[in-house]
Amino acid sequence: MRTPEDQWLEDLYRNTLPRVAAMVYRMGGHLEMAKDIFQDAVIIYLEKQQAQKLPPGVPAEAYITGIARILSIRKLKKSGTAVSLDEMTGEISVPADYYAPPPVSRPVLDYVRAAGKRCLKLLQAFYYDHHSLTDIAADFNFKTPHSASVQKYKCLEKVREQIKQSDYAETLS
Amino acid sequence: MRKHLAEAQEIEQYLLANMSAPARLVFQARMLVAPALREKVKYQRKTMQLVRWLAREEKRRQLDTLLQQMLQDKPFNDSITSIFK
Repeated sequence: MRTPEDQWLEDLYRNTLPRVAAMVYRMGGHLEMAKDIFQDAVIIYLEKQQAQKLPPGVPAEAYITGIARILSIRKLKKSGTAVSLDEMTGEISVPADYYAPPPVSRPVLDYVRAAGKRCLKLLQAFYYDHHSLTDIAADFNFKTPHSASVQKYKCLEKVREQIKQSDYAETLS
Repeated sequence: MRKHLAEAQEIEQYLLANMSAPARLVFQARMLVAPALREKVKYQRKTMQLVRWLAREEKRRQLDTLLQQMLQDKPFNDSITSIFK
């Protein structure tokens, strides 16, 4: 079923992607790069929205274009002086770990992903989506927010141990 | 909450910087003398990084699917591709 967020995203792509694509083109980038940069800018915007870290009164389109500009400059290795940066850019930041490689090796990643799907979903709802324990309890069918909290810590321990064991196994092999 | 779950909660508060300054200092001192605790902090940090990394990967997939659907619309497709011609 189509959600209001789907519609919002579609409008965003229609209205803002052409603007970002034109900017990437002017800086010497290509189509695939424009798509990737726009997508990353949207993800960073959504993360900041969920964490309630957006500056007040800045429209989503302007903020996303600002992030895309920073990402374009970084990717295309142009100096800041070659591109006009408006005042709002100072309020925009890209998470330090955004382009970090996966924190575990690919085999460990695959193992954890396969072994703990429900736990990863639960941890994602809390740590990434910043949902409240009340909402998590409802979404994951726990009787109370406290049960959801206890399960969250059990999951944290379970995944933590999986990573540790896999890490040890890799070190020994 | 059982003891080891309470410990996971305490490590979480440390990693999310949700501890008071004195409690943080005490926790850091405990880590210095307890390698097992230090190791748990290390792997819990990795777990939280992994959760974030996987969530972003999933989001990228979702957005990519949306874009592929939208690019089926010729006028929209042209409005993007014509920029690079």
